Amino acid sequence: MSNSTMHRKGPLFWILLVVVVLVVLAPIYWIVSTSVKTPTENILPTPTLFPHKFTLSNYENVIRAGIFTNFFNSLFVAAVSTTISLSISFLAAYALCRHKFPFRLNNIFLIWVLAVKILPPIVLAIPLYTLFTRAGLLNSLWGLVIVYQVYTLPYCLWIIFGFVKALPIEFEQAATIDGAGHLKILTSIVLPLTSGGIIATSIFSIIIAWNEFLFALLFIRTPSRLTLPLKIVSFIGEYETLWGELMAIGLLATLPILLFSGYVYKRLTHGFALGLR
Amino acid sequence: MTVLQRVRRDSFYYIIFAPAFLVIVFLTIYPVLSVLINSLFDYNFLSADKELIGFENFVKIIGEAIFQRAFLNTVIFSLVATTAEATLGLILALLFYGRFAGKRATMTAVIFPMMLSTMVICAIWKTMYHHDIGVLNYLIGVLGMEPVGWLTNKRVALFSVMIVDIWQWTPFAFIIIQAGLNSVPPELFEAAGIDGAGYFRTLVHVTIPVLFSQILMVFLLRTIDTFRVFDKVYALTQGGPGNATETVSYFVYREGFSFFNIGRASAASVYVLLVISIIAGAYIRRILKQEV
Repeated sequence: MSNSTMHRKGPLFWILLVVVVLVVLAPIYWIVSTSVKTPTENILPTPTLFPHKFTLSNYENVIRAGIFTNFFNSLFVAAVSTTISLSISFLAAYALCRHKFPFRLNNIFLIWVLAVKILPPIVLAIPLYTLFTRAGLLNSLWGLVIVYQVYTLPYCLWIIFGFVKALPIEFEQAATIDGAGHLKILTSIVLPLTSGGIIATSIFSIIIAWNEFLFALLFIRTPSRLTLPLKIVSFIGEYETLWGELMAIGLLATLPILLFSGYVYKRLTHGFALGLR
Repeated sequence: MTVLQRVRRDSFYYIIFAPAFLVIVFLTIYPVLSVLINSLFDYNFLSADKELIGFENFVKIIGEAIFQRAFLNTVIFSLVATTAEATLGLILALLFYGRFAGKRATMTAVIFPMMLSTMVICAIWKTMYHHDIGVLNYLIGVLGMEPVGWLTNKRVALFSVMIVDIWQWTPFAFIIIQAGLNSVPPELFEAAGIDGAGYFRTLVHVTIPVLFSQILMVFLLRTIDTFRVFDKVYALTQGGPGNATETVSYFVYREGFSFFNIGRASAASVYVLLVISIIAGAYIRRILKQEV
């Protein structure tokens, strides 16, 4: 890593860079081109690099077959479970920062939550399956929303805890002297100051819930309630060579995540810029 | 502060803490306890007889070839995939160090796989791996090689699943190590250069040691994640051919949800818990050092 190799890039560097980009992008090119090829072109023994005949029929077919139902299922589950996680972790993070609970509960709770992040979800699957059967929450999107707290809550809690902990307590003390109640302090001081962090956290939480597969597989049976990952897997199993449609579903399932994280990222950097002034 | 005020303040904190606390208790503490207890029973969901048999499930399972296979597969998968991701991530971080034309665009491209959902990735690779009309076999055919049964050959299948994981998560390793590399003052590398150390000497004696905590973090997070691998196995091979790609998560899934054998599935889960708790110990210590 001497100075010369760091600043002057030789031909070897450019070759390596091209190879890396190719390895990464080839499968992505493959998904896009497959989705606009005709079904017959997709099963030719000699794969074609460019579509002979560009077609959007794959997209038409999957939309007509009701992919939007799965789309909205995923959207519902991701949005609601993230909203719940963000709200209750914000409240809990504030309580953990400002109040010392007995029996060293603060530390024990935070460490346990960290351990949950590491726990393989399959370990929880059987007891939760039994619990949710008894509660009548199986095969329901609300059931998924609740069970996804296993993933999203620990994640949100630790990140938001970090943001709340970094807040100076003086603002709150000043507000108390001015006679503001707890709830008032929470909503008009703590929440605005941590909102940037909460929005950032929401991106990852939404992605986790949007992509979750195991519990969706175990909990959801009715076809009209399948989330997108389940739809994709059932498609792989049922129509082994309808690749165009499979890839069309895949791209449609990816689009909102890309748009959403792009949008939030922009808002976030904007928010940071405002905060610096 | 009067007693009444203090009670009011305290109860406020208890009330706002309660929802998260209850969710964690019901969704994680209860299930873990339930798994620990059920592992000691001969318990089938269908027959619903429950008989206390002590550690018999544990003894039986560990003697079974399928479980041993599943365990070995998981360890191999976890070790190889994690090592490959960390190594490739480091190489990428070194490649992208410094300034060059098109850095932003190429970096965005390289990070892209991480943004895709696992199932979409499995769909792509499943078609590329197809034995007769997949693009990979076509390409190696052009090079004059025999077609490979990527997902159907017992010796290859596990590695094919690994390649998918490596393709998906190397960007993650790259981002973390890259952040570490950028926070190192460049003078450090320059000093090593002035002292006459070559590229690889600098790499081994300076670069890797200063990036230790980032590399360790990549290893911990990827080990944790690869050890639970389930989605990819389910979508790509269903544990097959034979049980060549069976992992412990898949074993628990089959015992529990195909055979409804709660006792055995729970005992297998406890084995997973034991292994994970070793990794978890290291991980938690690491995190607490940084954050609390």
